[in-house]
Amino acid sequence: MKCVEFERVLPEYLEGNYLPAQQAHLQTCAACSNLLADLKLISEQAKSLIASHEPSPALWNALEERLRREGLIRQAQPSGFRLRSFSSRWRLAWLVPVAAAIAIGTVVKLHYPMKAGDTQPVVRQESIPAPPAKPISSEDLQLLTTVAERPPAQRAKYRANLDDANSFIRDAEQSAKQDPSDIFMQQMLINAYEQKQMLYDLAVYRSEPGEQ
Amino acid sequence: MRPKKGNLTDATKLQGDKLTEREAIERAKQGDAEAFKFLYDLHKRRVYSLCLRMTGNTASAEDLTQEAFLQLFRKIGTFRGESAFSTWLHRMAVNVVLMQLRKKGLPVVPIDEPTEPDEEVTVTKEPGAADERLAGSIDRLELQRAVDELPPGYRTIFVLHDVEGYEHNEIAGMVGCSIGNSKSQLHKARLKLRELLRVNRAEKAMKR
Repeated sequence: MKCVEFERVLPEYLEGNYLPAQQAHLQTCAACSNLLADLKLISEQAKSLIASHEPSPALWNALEERLRREGLIRQAQPSGFRLRSFSSRWRLAWLVPVAAAIAIGTVVKLHYPMKAGDTQPVVRQESIPAPPAKPISSEDLQLLTTVAERPPAQRAKYRANLDDANSFIRDAEQSAKQDPSDIFMQQMLINAYEQKQMLYDLAVYRSEPGEQ
Repeated sequence: MRPKKGNLTDATKLQGDKLTEREAIERAKQGDAEAFKFLYDLHKRRVYSLCLRMTGNTASAEDLTQEAFLQLFRKIGTFRGESAFSTWLHRMAVNVVLMQLRKKGLPVVPIDEPTEPDEEVTVTKEPGAADERLAGSIDRLELQRAVDELPPGYRTIFVLHDVEGYEHNEIAGMVGCSIGNSKSQLHKARLKLRELLRVNRAEKAMKR
């Protein structure tokens, strides 16, 4: 069997329909063997994209408004988190400047791309590489303290989401640092910071973090 | 749809205040706001990620996610539980995205037309020469970027099959092509992805 013939039947092979001639060709042809390994790897890794992104919190607000407008939500009272008192919100006002700082940090980072050897992260708590023990920054600790009175399941979700966001930021920073001119990675970094800012916003305006 | 790739465990387990998905569906049928929010939170990542992968655009993905959930909640009264709720919702989300792609005139599946040899996605190599492998690993961001660079038709088939786990007969029904076409386009999409991953890596290496 030649490479051209093998490639023609490769889709069937990937579905598990093996022929002895194909097996024999793979034993002797490194190129086809590498091709097969790569296509399998791509297919397997694709599963990691299945629920990889979080929509913005504003999406639920817009959806809820439409559901109410269409009369699908029939409850007279708005949902629980909308009933939070002004004073309760005011107590969380410290989070607003923190969220703003994150946003400013993102902008600064993009306007002054990292240079080789640059070890000064814009936002202190997301420094690279990640320490294995995952120590928590003072800002994150403050957020967790703020939600400390909420039910344990909600607190756990805040913590899990915070860890996710920090990990996303670390990954994106690392990639952006490898290639500061990479626009895609810069966008990923913006997304990462937005995800974290979203958590702060949730703590200010709502009673629960994004769940999944 | 292959259940092993779905998120059925998450969708049925107890969460937060012990509300189950089944209870939430019943309460949503009565117009309960918290039940809607519960169902939205349970499935939003999967639906949004699907929309984002298929459109490659965050603004469109948010609009389509909203549309998919809106359609779901409008029809929730007709849900009788014959299929999994997640399957029902994801299928609805796919239809919403495909309809949008068609409206924009984008191909939901590449048309099988005779192509010039240099346009065909093939593996070119010297006889006996070994291709360089993708070094045994691909990280998520790298793959995400390559998928976003795929032409829309290839992207649709790849996302539906390899990411979402739909079978070729289901894809053929959804996008309106033959099963054979779905299979061949998936293969071409994977080959194209391999090429994109290698080009992106080479460009990255040159910049270092």
